[in-house]
Amino acid sequence: MTLDNLTGKSLEKIEPDPIAIQRLLDAAERNIADAELIELSNENRFDVAYKAIMQLANAALQASGFRTLTSKPGHHQTMIQSLVKTVGIETDRMIVLDALRKQRNIADYSGDLVEDAAVVECILQAKQLLALTQAWLKNQ
Amino acid sequence: MLSLADLLFKEYRRQVLALLLLRPDQSYHVREIARLTNTQPGTLHKELTKLAEVGILKKAVQGNQLYYQADTNCIVFEELAGIMRKTSGLADVLRLALQPVTGQLQFAAVYGSVASGKATANSDVDLLLVGDLGFAEAVKVLYPAQQELGREINPKLYSVNEWHKALAEQSGFIRQLLADPLLPIVGNKDDVR
Repeated sequence: MTLDNLTGKSLEKIEPDPIAIQRLLDAAERNIADAELIELSNENRFDVAYKAIMQLANAALQASGFRTLTSKPGHHQTMIQSLVKTVGIETDRMIVLDALRKQRNIADYSGDLVEDAAVVECILQAKQLLALTQAWLKNQ
Repeated sequence: MLSLADLLFKEYRRQVLALLLLRPDQSYHVREIARLTNTQPGTLHKELTKLAEVGILKKAVQGNQLYYQADTNCIVFEELAGIMRKTSGLADVLRLALQPVTGQLQFAAVYGSVASGKATANSDVDLLLVGDLGFAEAVKVLYPAQQELGREINPKLYSVNEWHKALAEQSGFIRQLLADPLLPIVGNKDDVR
């Protein structure tokens, strides 16, 4: 599947805006820094790290000339899947990112606590994705 | 290694019961069952006929297709479904999937709707893992099992320390988890506390 195939279904075409993309990258960096504040609860650390992952995926998607249709359900999943086509992440990484998405869904709706292992993983993935996205954008 | 389910039921019966009794809200036609259980339609057909004759399954004709479904009114439905839930299908698949990390696990069990037999066709598998392994590692070993089971698996992963702390704190989640049915995958019920 290509990103073009998804146009109209879950994506729409846009003209890339370097300022908007940079704004997303800056926000992701701030969120990663916040995720490392150990005074915060696990839930909030997890949430901001996850937010950074979404912002990075979105930045890469916009740099490729697309954005998700927020009117359609499942745009977080689309955003994660798009990373395979934009930054070029491996399937293994996508599987982990998608599992983090589900953890967030469950925690949001059930009010369950988020365990340490999921928090550690989410922050690690956000940091690695930041580096991957920055390197990929340089070559665009 | 011979599993409990292998010993109790011969292959075709075990496969059919595991598929149909664990998804009682779903009916399947013979070829579909053959494909999902990796069995021969001919032999399978005989097995299905027998199971329907004694009332474990019910059959229905739709167009020119014969459909089979678990008959939840069968007097031993709950017991048989319980045996399949604990020994075959899901538990086996999860046990096998977790094999590479079993050494790092103190305890693993399914909780939620699948463990209590209230799962619908779309229910996720809620899996409690207590042990010292990484989240990514757990997700990766479980991923192929998701496809095999046709259900998403949601791991809830605690380190051993974190688990003991959570038990001591008795949050709403822990209280409910301990009160509801658990389906042990690694370790047994006594390992949980």
